[in-house]
Amino acid sequence: MPGSSAPRVNSLALLILPSALLFALFFFLPIGLMAVMSVLTGNPVVMPNVAFTTKHYARMGNDSYYLEVISTTLRIGLWTTLVALVIGYPLAHWMARIKSRTGHALLLMAVLAPMLTGIVVRTFAWMTLLSDKGVINQILISLGLIARPLQLMYNEAGIIIGLVHIYVPFMVLTLTGVIGRIDERLEQAAENLGASPWRAFLEVTLPLSLPGILAGSLLVFALAISAYVTPILLGGFQIMTLPILIYQQISANFNVGFAAALGMVLLVISLSLVIAYNHVLGLVSGQRELQ
Amino acid sequence: MSAAIEIAGVSKVYDGGVRAVDTVAMDIRPGEFFSLLGPSGCGKTTTLRMIAGFDTPSSGEIRLDGADITHVPAHKRDMAMVFQNYALFPHRTVAENVAFGLRMRKVDKATIAAKVKAALAMVELAGMEDRRPAQLSGGQQQRVALARAIVISPRVLLCDEPLGALDKKLRQQMQFELKQLQKNLGVTLVFVTHDQEEALAMSDRIAVMNAGRVEQVGTPVEIYDQPRTRFVADFIGDTNIFRGQCVTMDQGTGIAVGNSLALALPRPVAAAQGEVVSVALRPEKITIAAADQSETRSSGTSARGTVESTNFLGGAVLYRIVLDGGQRVLAQQPNSGAGPLHTPGQAVALGWRPADLVILED
Ligand SMILES: Nc1ncnc2c1ncn2[C@@H]1O[C@H](COP(=O)(O)OP(=O)(O)OP(=O)(O)O)[C@@H](O)[C@H]1O
Ligand SMILES: [Mg+2]
Repeated sequence: MPGSSAPRVNSLALLILPSALLFALFFFLPIGLMAVMSVLTGNPVVMPNVAFTTKHYARMGNDSYYLEVISTTLRIGLWTTLVALVIGYPLAHWMARIKSRTGHALLLMAVLAPMLTGIVVRTFAWMTLLSDKGVINQILISLGLIARPLQLMYNEAGIIIGLVHIYVPFMVLTLTGVIGRIDERLEQAAENLGASPWRAFLEVTLPLSLPGILAGSLLVFALAISAYVTPILLGGFQIMTLPILIYQQISANFNVGFAAALGMVLLVISLSLVIAYNHVLGLVSGQRELQ
Repeated sequence: MSAAIEIAGVSKVYDGGVRAVDTVAMDIRPGEFFSLLGPSGCGKTTTLRMIAGFDTPSSGEIRLDGADITHVPAHKRDMAMVFQNYALFPHRTVAENVAFGLRMRKVDKATIAAKVKAALAMVELAGMEDRRPAQLSGGQQQRVALARAIVISPRVLLCDEPLGALDKKLRQQMQFELKQLQKNLGVTLVFVTHDQEEALAMSDRIAVMNAGRVEQVGTPVEIYDQPRTRFVADFIGDTNIFRGQCVTMDQGTGIAVGNSLALALPRPVAAAQGEVVSVALRPEKITIAAADQSETRSSGTSARGTVESTNFLGGAVLYRIVLDGGQRVLAQQPNSGAGPLHTPGQAVALGWRPADLVILED
């Protein structure tokens, strides 16, 4: 019978349809549009005769200013990630291993509480701390430690401080999950065999938490290179990053094509990081795939 | 080079007030196979962890060859532990796992290689050097854990239910091998188990624990034949426990259980007339005969009853018998082939020697 041999659609598969549609509509469509815009001479909706072009990308490659912006963005991203990791790892380790429930709750609250305040508010708070007439400089001057105010903001350092503060919780939460799943008895076994607590950490916990380190770093890096508000406020337009540049191209220069090309650069950086992450993870955990 | 361990009045109270270990005292002799035996949650692991140095006693002292080590950190104790879940390093190969302790002791590479090879050969895992723990069966992992512990020639070997996850056959084989190994190395071994057969079969001495306390320390024979408390008698093997009031009988002191059963005691007790005393009687110490032909057979106490059920165990037969007074009794007979089995419903006479009764503390 012809009807019975037709492939039957698994009715459960239909359940993912709404989310698949939503995903396509709000994720792939905009990205696809952006990719298309980045290789067109103009906006096809208002200009009927647009043509294919690579000029937006060529412009980036030819002008050292744009390469400078890209490298500044990456540098800020790397430093933010590194500092967030150095601050976040001990915190995460503490949180994952703390015995008392109250202690754990308090730590979790301390990590999450800043996230309840808006980014703008937190950035302004940093400005009152870091500016020339800010709390830190005033204290240092009144103590006689410095004569003139230190340049703490309107530079990359200021941006990195602000970004670390905002993104450290992401690092901590990612790491806590991974470290918490490492059996404490592995460290004890190492100590039992003669390793000092520090050595046991280096030999056992650190390598086993590598997936968490990678995931947390990836997350923080991707968030940091696409941050907009903090680099503007703490950089005071002295420091140009990709997101700021993209915004300028759209709002001031109305150059949507170039903005789209810049956006594609940001996207490709993040994407290649994700691919590299999966690759590295495969290498470090390939040995453990049977677990 | 094996060491003596003294545990002197050690208690461990966890936050929240759980008294996991309660004034435990025991002396473990050098080169001894010493078992901690008790039901789940009685504090065996906690005791072992305090010996290893992962937990600090709330009070009391732990001494190694007379030296107080209560506050010595774990990595300076020169003990090796086989964890209940093996705790092998998942990111390291078998050889690297075994080499770990030697590496921490800064042994040179050539010696490490030789010792690792010898240790793996000893646990019959030669050729598995480059596998990861996840690529091994449970029994093989357990042997890696053992090799990792013995390769450093520790003064004390601590094992937390190391055979728990194995099937019966492998378990028996490993019991034998572990015992051999311990004898050959002459190492002091503290062995945690909740399996009484395992403890009886392997140990030089056993400490029976209950609810954080040590109920009795003794050789397997002492523990089995002369249990000191009701708990020990009940926990080790099958046993019949009778509780009754102290009375004076023709043969001396005895206890009256219910209205129709009186048991003569093997020795006088401190208890006054009328006080309640418990005694234990092992099922295999009871003789059974068909009711009509018995009477004169045993010199000791006897009782009459009816067979309730007959369990054929192969090497032995286990009878559940209801005495005329209503008490239930287990009796075990070797399957000697002399005569047919007693069948349920049959009237039987039971006999035992008063010397086989063990007077228990509550
Ligand atoms: N970290 C802890 N905090 C609070 N209570 C604990 C802790 N560890 C163990 N306990 C309690 O202490 C008691 C003894 O635990 P322990 O692990 O020593 O038992 P065990 O004899 O090894 O049992 P098992 O045979 O099940 O392994 C238990 O009641 C347990 O709930
Ligand atoms: Mg235990």
